[in-house]
Amino acid sequence: MPAAQIDPTLPETAAACSSSRPVQEGSGRRRFVDLRGVQWRIDLGILPADDGDASTSSVDDLRRVTANSRRRYAALRRRLLVDPHIRKEGSNSPNLVMDNPLSQNPDSMWGRFFRSAELERMVDQDLSRLYPEHGSYFQTTECQAMLRRILLLWCLRHPEYGYRQVYVKGNATVLIPPSFPALSTGMHELLAPLLYVLHVDVEYLSEVRKQYEDHFTDKFDGFAFHESDLTYKFDFMKFSESTDDEIGPQETPVTVLNELDPKIQVIVLLSDAYGPEGELGIVLSEKFMEHDAYCMFDALMNGGGGAVAMAEFFSFSPLGGPHTGLPPVIEASSALYHLLSIVDASLYSHLVELGVEPQYFALRWLRVLFGREFDLEDLLIVWDEIFASDNSKIKRCAETDVTSSFGVLNSSRGAFISALAVAMILHLRSSLLATENATSCLQRLLNFPEDISQEKLIAKAKSFQALALDANISAPLPTHTGAYDRSKPVAVRGHSLSSDAISPGSPLSAVPDSYWEEKWRVLHKEEARKHGSAEKQGQNRIKGWSEKVRLRLSRTESDPSPSKAGSRKRDPRPSVRRSLLDDLARQLGSDEDTEVIVSGEDLNQKNPDEVDGQDEERRLSGNAGSEENSSIFSDPPSPVGGGNNDHENDSERSSVASNLSVDENEAEESNVGSSRANQEVLPLPISDPPEDTSVKCEQSDDSTGKSAANFKERKLLSGKFQWFWKFGRNGGEGISEKGGADEATKTSNSGHNQNTAGSSTADGSNSSSVNAKGDAVDQNVMVSLRNLGHSMLENIQVIESVFQQDCGQVGTIENYSKNALVGRGQVTAMAALKELRKISNLLSEM
Amino acid sequence: MVLVLAIGDLHIPHRAPDLPAKFKSMLVPGKIQHIICTGNLCIKEVHDYLKSLCPSLHITRGEYDEDARYPETKTITIGQFKLGLCHGHQVVPWGDLDSLAMLQRQLDVDILVSGHTHQFKAYKHEAGVVINPGSATGAYSSITYDVNPSFVLMDIDGLRVVVYVYELIDGEVKVDKIDFKKTATATTHSAH
Repeated sequence: MPAAQIDPTLPETAAACSSSRPVQEGSGRRRFVDLRGVQWRIDLGILPADDGDASTSSVDDLRRVTANSRRRYAALRRRLLVDPHIRKEGSNSPNLVMDNPLSQNPDSMWGRFFRSAELERMVDQDLSRLYPEHGSYFQTTECQAMLRRILLLWCLRHPEYGYRQVYVKGNATVLIPPSFPALSTGMHELLAPLLYVLHVDVEYLSEVRKQYEDHFTDKFDGFAFHESDLTYKFDFMKFSESTDDEIGPQETPVTVLNELDPKIQVIVLLSDAYGPEGELGIVLSEKFMEHDAYCMFDALMNGGGGAVAMAEFFSFSPLGGPHTGLPPVIEASSALYHLLSIVDASLYSHLVELGVEPQYFALRWLRVLFGREFDLEDLLIVWDEIFASDNSKIKRCAETDVTSSFGVLNSSRGAFISALAVAMILHLRSSLLATENATSCLQRLLNFPEDISQEKLIAKAKSFQALALDANISAPLPTHTGAYDRSKPVAVRGHSLSSDAISPGSPLSAVPDSYWEEKWRVLHKEEARKHGSAEKQGQNRIKGWSEKVRLRLSRTESDPSPSKAGSRKRDPRPSVRRSLLDDLARQLGSDEDTEVIVSGEDLNQKNPDEVDGQDEERRLSGNAGSEENSSIFSDPPSPVGGGNNDHENDSERSSVASNLSVDENEAEESNVGSSRANQEVLPLPISDPPEDTSVKCEQSDDSTGKSAANFKERKLLSGKFQWFWKFGRNGGEGISEKGGADEATKTSNSGHNQNTAGSSTADGSNSSSVNAKGDAVDQNVMVSLRNLGHSMLENIQVIESVFQQDCGQVGTIENYSKNALVGRGQVTAMAALKELRKISNLLSEM
Repeated sequence: MVLVLAIGDLHIPHRAPDLPAKFKSMLVPGKIQHIICTGNLCIKEVHDYLKSLCPSLHITRGEYDEDARYPETKTITIGQFKLGLCHGHQVVPWGDLDSLAMLQRQLDVDILVSGHTHQFKAYKHEAGVVINPGSATGAYSSITYDVNPSFVLMDIDGLRVVVYVYELIDGEVKVDKIDFKKTATATTHSAH
């Protein structure tokens, strides 16, 4: 750039110059890389984001808009910051009955005065504690006064929000009614970085200007514009306060602009006191930092008409949440959990199990936009990304969907915020999964580690952003179970993308694993924390260790891998499965086995928190390195997977049809039995297809969302069965009341039946339309119903066997009470199983 | 900006049961920074009530006060003003401006607040102010039975005092306002 030629000794200024020139930047999005304050103002919609074709005119635009926003602020300040003493002189005969210090009329001047005085006290309390580590700036009286005025004005301007408070005590965030006097808010923490950014910009600019002044003194003939600024500062301050005149002090006919080198015009024009709007139009001006900061704060709080208005996070009434009727911040929190459930279902279910409500930590995260989780410098980077995301509401074609979704996910900015929060949760994944209770969980969430890589987190969040947007569009219900229905394809896609290093984690299919994950963690937490590096897929992991156990302890026994592969190859072999089950159950009973398992588990434990990066590599290495048998184990199925994939690639439709054939179904179901029975309390056959998919996806990286289409319907069901699975678990542990167990199981079973029937009907119709054989629809239905019966039977068998195994396993733990509970739960569960068997018999007879 | 409430001659419970409800609803904690009370409360409960409005409470002794520990006169400095406080039954003739001015000079105060007559009075006198807030309960006095409840609120801001007079007339609170500016000469005067 010519700027560099002219000013080779000043690379910094040259960079500043070029960065402020839109033509050179190419993309208008990051026009002011060095001037973060200006960039944020553009991002927040205060300054116009132009296409960047005519730099001079755009600068003029910027200046005009800047001046106008400042004028608005000045007017607001005059109007709202009342001083009863000054007013008294202005209006000579005020209504004394109303305007006296003891007046009870809240609208009276004194009433307003006392209100703002009270606000000021609260604001001051917060400001005095604001960023003590940055005391050099934030604790200065000027800065404090600015912050106080801005907050005060904003609150007076928006009385509906008041000065809302978040009081963080220990690790529980407590909401306190706004009338409570001694509080701490979040708003000032939203404002402070904005002001800081402006401050940094101004400092940076003055540095640049000093250098330019040295460089161009001869051109100005001794009259440096830097000084001319100073001479006008005083006058102009008065001017801006006293009049709303449109034209600045242009009466001094200095021909600075004409004489200036055009290459540095932009940066000079931005800060030239004689440009459009005069001094009021200086885009970066120390005097108007307060004005600018207010405008930014206001835009941030009100969202500029977009979906994310921070102010809503401070409101307790559901004024902005037409979707759910919840306070917006709660809604946003549940949106966050919704996204988490898609991205990492096992972690999600773990948190839900512990009763960690999202708002416990998300309230703090969202209200101050992660301001308390990151250092100020890191926060600025995070905010860069947040603001860079478009906040405008995304128009969706499915507007008719009444039960639409989360308002916060309506814009890409909101999606990014949620995605970032999810990325942060995932960063803590392993330690969160290791926690046993909500308190320690929250402790970890609310004491976010500082030594994290911003880039990684942001990159991860970006990868989730699209997912969040999709999830929002596809999620028909704000409830989690409902949300599964349509978000399934998304999850599957994310899953199959795992090879692309942005995989959010295994989808729903991983959920059932969390139970065992938890169990093992409870048992061997310490070891769990130490080890790391393994593959991503929970199924593989569990299969891996079960294989390992078998292979290690009974090498002479029949090789399980072939049998597994066999079962996958549409060979339902219940007897083999049973024997394997018993085998494993027996092995689980011994202590050394547990150790072995744990070591296997440990290897796999760490994987979730390194979701980003080189997933594929890691998975491969994990596969190869974790066990000597992994190759044996993983090899046999691969042909099948590959075959399937080829199949799918050839014709998606035909694979749908083939999947629906009886054999296939049975294969899948038996597959569940054999592969999962060992590990799951209640491995629903329905929840198996995802596993298959995952296996396939894993084995062939190039296969993408195609498989999703195949298993969509079934996965949908598996989502619904989560609660059922949970119940089963509860019953097994004797947590839920014994009496209700029977009925609940029954009802859930019936639900199960209906759902499955529905899905198979859908499948049937699908296949009938596509199937080359042209089977009649009802026939298909019958077939699938029979399949259902089979599956339920297997289901029952699995449950029984797992109970046996469970007993053995729990025995090894020195947890006698739990053992007793399990024993009791077993009785009722067995009764429930009898019912299940009846139903399945009935169904299979059909 | 400091708000100072001047109140006195409540005579509770001998001559009045309580403060008028309208006054009570106006007097809320948090607004007033100081209370100066000329005396004749007369019981401890009233003292506690005033204390609940504002912790900075200054009382001189009236002739009916049960608490004998209150001083006869008291001076306090608020902002740039020096305030003198006295019940007034010691100053004869009662309520006489010249006598009160004498006390004002004795105490060397800018504002003298006294009571006892149960009649609101405010004089600007010799670059100072003499104020009688009247009786807050409207209790009768030894001079007259016709008493309107009244009290005074002073808004002291820099060199300026705005005196708000709250008077309950026929069930309505009437507010009046008197401006007083302390001049440079007044400062030198009071410095003597």
